[in-house]
Amino acid sequence: MLSMVDFNVISPESVDELILEIENNQSNNFRFGAGYTDLLLELRKQSGPKINVINLSKLNDAKFSAIEKTDDKIRIGSLITAGELVKNKEIQELFPVLHQAANSLASKQIRQVATVGGNICTASPAGDIATALVALEAICEILSTKNEIREVPIKEFMLGVRKTALKKNEILRSVVIPIIYADTKIISDFIKIGTRKSMECAIVSLAYHFLLDDDGIIKHSGIAIGSSAPTIKFTQGACDFLIGKKIVDFTDDDKKVFADKVLEYATPISDIRGSEWYRKKVLHNISKSILE
Amino acid sequence: MTKNLKIIGKPTPKIDANIRVTGEAQFGHDIQLPNMLYGAILRTKYPVAEIISIDTSKAKKLEGVKCVITADNIDVNNISYRRDHPILKKGQVNCIRDEIAAVAATSKEIAQKALELIEVKYKVREGIFDPFEAIKEDAPQINHFIDGKYPNKNIAEHFHYEHGNLDEEKAISKYIVSHRYTLPRVTHCCMATSNMTADYSKTDGKLTLYSTTQVPFLYQRDIARALKMEPSKIRIIQVVIGGGFGSKLDMYPYEPICALLSMKTGQPVQLIFSREEEFIASPTRQTMIYDVTAGADENGRFTFRDVRVTLDNGAYTSWGATTPFVMMQTFSSLYQCPACRFDSTSVYTNNVYAGSFRGYGNPQATFALERTIDMLAEEIGMSKSEIRILNANFKGEITKQGLHFNTCGHKEALETVIEKVKGHTHPLVPSQEWKTKRYKRGVGYASMLHVGGGAKIYPSDGCGTTLKIDPFGYLTIITGSSEIGQGSETVLAMIASEELGIDISRIKVINTDTDIKPWDVGVHASRTSFVAGNSVLGAVKKLKEKISPKAAQLLKTNVDDLIYEKGLIKSVINESSIELDKVVRAIHFKEPGELCIDTYFFEPSSEFADNEFKGNVSGAYAFASQSVEVEVDTYTGNVKVLDVYVAQDVGKVLNPLGLAGQIEGGVVMGMGYALLEELIVDKGMILNPNFHNYKLPTAMDVPGIHFYPIETEDSLGPYGAKGVGEAPLIPTAAAIANAVSDAIGVQIDSLPVTPEKVLRALEEKF
Repeated sequence: MLSMVDFNVISPESVDELILEIENNQSNNFRFGAGYTDLLLELRKQSGPKINVINLSKLNDAKFSAIEKTDDKIRIGSLITAGELVKNKEIQELFPVLHQAANSLASKQIRQVATVGGNICTASPAGDIATALVALEAICEILSTKNEIREVPIKEFMLGVRKTALKKNEILRSVVIPIIYADTKIISDFIKIGTRKSMECAIVSLAYHFLLDDDGIIKHSGIAIGSSAPTIKFTQGACDFLIGKKIVDFTDDDKKVFADKVLEYATPISDIRGSEWYRKKVLHNISKSILE
Repeated sequence: MTKNLKIIGKPTPKIDANIRVTGEAQFGHDIQLPNMLYGAILRTKYPVAEIISIDTSKAKKLEGVKCVITADNIDVNNISYRRDHPILKKGQVNCIRDEIAAVAATSKEIAQKALELIEVKYKVREGIFDPFEAIKEDAPQINHFIDGKYPNKNIAEHFHYEHGNLDEEKAISKYIVSHRYTLPRVTHCCMATSNMTADYSKTDGKLTLYSTTQVPFLYQRDIARALKMEPSKIRIIQVVIGGGFGSKLDMYPYEPICALLSMKTGQPVQLIFSREEEFIASPTRQTMIYDVTAGADENGRFTFRDVRVTLDNGAYTSWGATTPFVMMQTFSSLYQCPACRFDSTSVYTNNVYAGSFRGYGNPQATFALERTIDMLAEEIGMSKSEIRILNANFKGEITKQGLHFNTCGHKEALETVIEKVKGHTHPLVPSQEWKTKRYKRGVGYASMLHVGGGAKIYPSDGCGTTLKIDPFGYLTIITGSSEIGQGSETVLAMIASEELGIDISRIKVINTDTDIKPWDVGVHASRTSFVAGNSVLGAVKKLKEKISPKAAQLLKTNVDDLIYEKGLIKSVINESSIELDKVVRAIHFKEPGELCIDTYFFEPSSEFADNEFKGNVSGAYAFASQSVEVEVDTYTGNVKVLDVYVAQDVGKVLNPLGLAGQIEGGVVMGMGYALLEELIVDKGMILNPNFHNYKLPTAMDVPGIHFYPIETEDSLGPYGAKGVGEAPLIPTAAAIANAVSDAIGVQIDSLPVTPEKVLRALEEKF
């Protein structure tokens, strides 16, 4: 119970050093350490051969550790913490869903160290930031030891519980969210179901981001569900259902049809946090609620 | 109580606050002794199995390992009050906590490694995890160490109580309701995990235990019996305790194990639980199933209660099995009740065993009773506040169980919380809109009755105090009572300050060493302020009998004319005064050449219960009522507690700051019990041994807590005070469940009220 796997820490300070360390460790058992909120727990549970931890906290590189906005996109470095996301005004205005997701992650203390990259690469079906990024159809920018960038849509990046598209010689550098300008209105939020107000891992979560025109017609829709399947799901069918319609026009039957479409992507398990029945029931209820 | 009080009743910071907030306090985890070894315990892999063999040879060979013990190389007695619990198990294991071997090594890591090297061969067996299965005649015997007290081999403990004529009362009952309630397994979650440092001297055969016990003198006796030692050769030094809540009322195997490791090696040994181990291997609140039938006459007056409780004892017995002693008081005496039958059976299973936990069964009993009262009110068509006030207890009442309510703030407490919740700021959703609105609000009430003047259970319920005033005018209080974070040493210092006029900054409280302090039964039953407080008052009186004549002589006045104030002794007649320390020096260094020191032992005037469990077992009784407003999200099932109104008969407020801490902490603990907490167990395995999945409320979940003390000034309490520590937790879960039921119109019959249970209940209703 006290045992902890033995580990070395290597702290590259530049991208060149980072690439070198990744290359050097290709035949070793190694992990990246950023906020350590998940990694430390994992290391405590593990035993076995020594692990090299490539510590990213000393890395000094804007692509990894800045939020950069251009006309058509926002790039978020993978070392950006949840706390930094919460404080960012542009994200708050353009992507309320991401702001809310970051703000509902764990607790305020943990948000100061937990990183965007960690939330994505842990590939938990319950990842709060990751669920919002799936709804926003973000693109992962992956750096390889060849110093090349490969782009992968986030919904294809997370392959299963703790499984990602990353190869051993790659690291997630940043994510890019395309900015689609709405004529008037953004309806965007993150609903996290848990039993208490902080320190929760979502029982289910729903991230949604709608863009409406002057007449209130939905022009763009992105919806993702967390803790409902082995990976976070983008609910394409439910998104399509909304396009070209007005929220005020939805009847109770429409809301139910919409919720049913969200549910088509949900294959939740029963575990100690919630049963399959509860997860489906509550996901259906909150799906309806966003059209109310 | 017309006396003008100087410090009693004034907000006074805890005298141990500074060392606690600065990190200077020495918790058990901070202790470092020369040559100290680290202990660790190997527990079973399976809840139920035969142990075929234990091979410790590889562990013994590991460098740094000083000692490995198993049941085969120790000479000890079984522990627990039923003596049904071997310290180390051999032959078979019966629950997932079972200790098989222990090691002492030069580092924690080596100790841990050594555990991994111990090879145990098991033959896994089917267990029995349901008390209703275990009680069947053909069930195999689970615990093989019991004495055959009961004919059924799996009954650990049984209580039966009754008063009044049940049949007659049933006959006149116009309304009768029956319901089953299920209470969960929750645990204390003390921030400091279980710990002990044992230091045995092979030279003189003395054993010093740095322990977190809250009952040091009973513990000394229990350790001695377990280890076959003389009790007085064992010295208990209580470390700063990071949370007790009743968990440290019994002795568990890890404690004699740690002592044994020190005795075998002759070196100090420290044993500290990891958090996971704390969840698995420390005691829980008793889980139980209640079957309650209760009635009322045509006017809503209660007529009878017929109660059967089945307790899941777990594989061994600890104090959890005796909680019916407290629970029966709630059924016999909370609200007036002409007839009562209470029958409880604690049944061995292969689950983990329960210890004592703040409230000692009373939160469970109060939940079952107060839910039943709501159902009765609904059946009658009476308001839930009215039925409670109609049946409330009253001053001067002697209940059928023999409890004497010399003072009783029950009705006033009820009226207060009913009034306060009416004036709340959250408008209720009109009931006709309930079917369409997502968020529904409801209000719930509950009361509680608990001992508030000690509890006559052990041969003595007393507490000793020695007071010493030094030649510089500083006072040392050596009290038998213990500080487990409840603020008792501050209250004792306040009492002495009040009586002797010595500033609280000049008062030291010594309360951690059984070699020094006088006897006390321990921290339990909300007794310390009442019993230890009275003990200090008695000691002050004796000490003043020594000091006052000298002061009167020096001031040329009469003893009766003296007052002690601001470090002075003054004459109210001739307005002369003298410094207290001068008088002390006059007594000490001159005539009569004595120390200013005295000792007093206070024994409450309460009596033992007779063999029918009747008798006035406490010096005073505490009452409390709570009203709660909740908002239920019918989409998610989440329950938000908006406000909790607490009115509690505390007798007299001694320290408002300490009292507020008890109230707020108790309510939050009760809210966790109501909505969040549960050790999830499957076939004897604990599935959530961590704070990630064992949901303790966080600061973010704390509702508005509004406290209204009721001061009934009990003549037997210090300044009129009664015990307060357990009460604030006891009615909270019941009141919250009642409020949820009120909000959504379904019966809540188990805890915790999880979102899933709420949604299922709604689903079944509509």
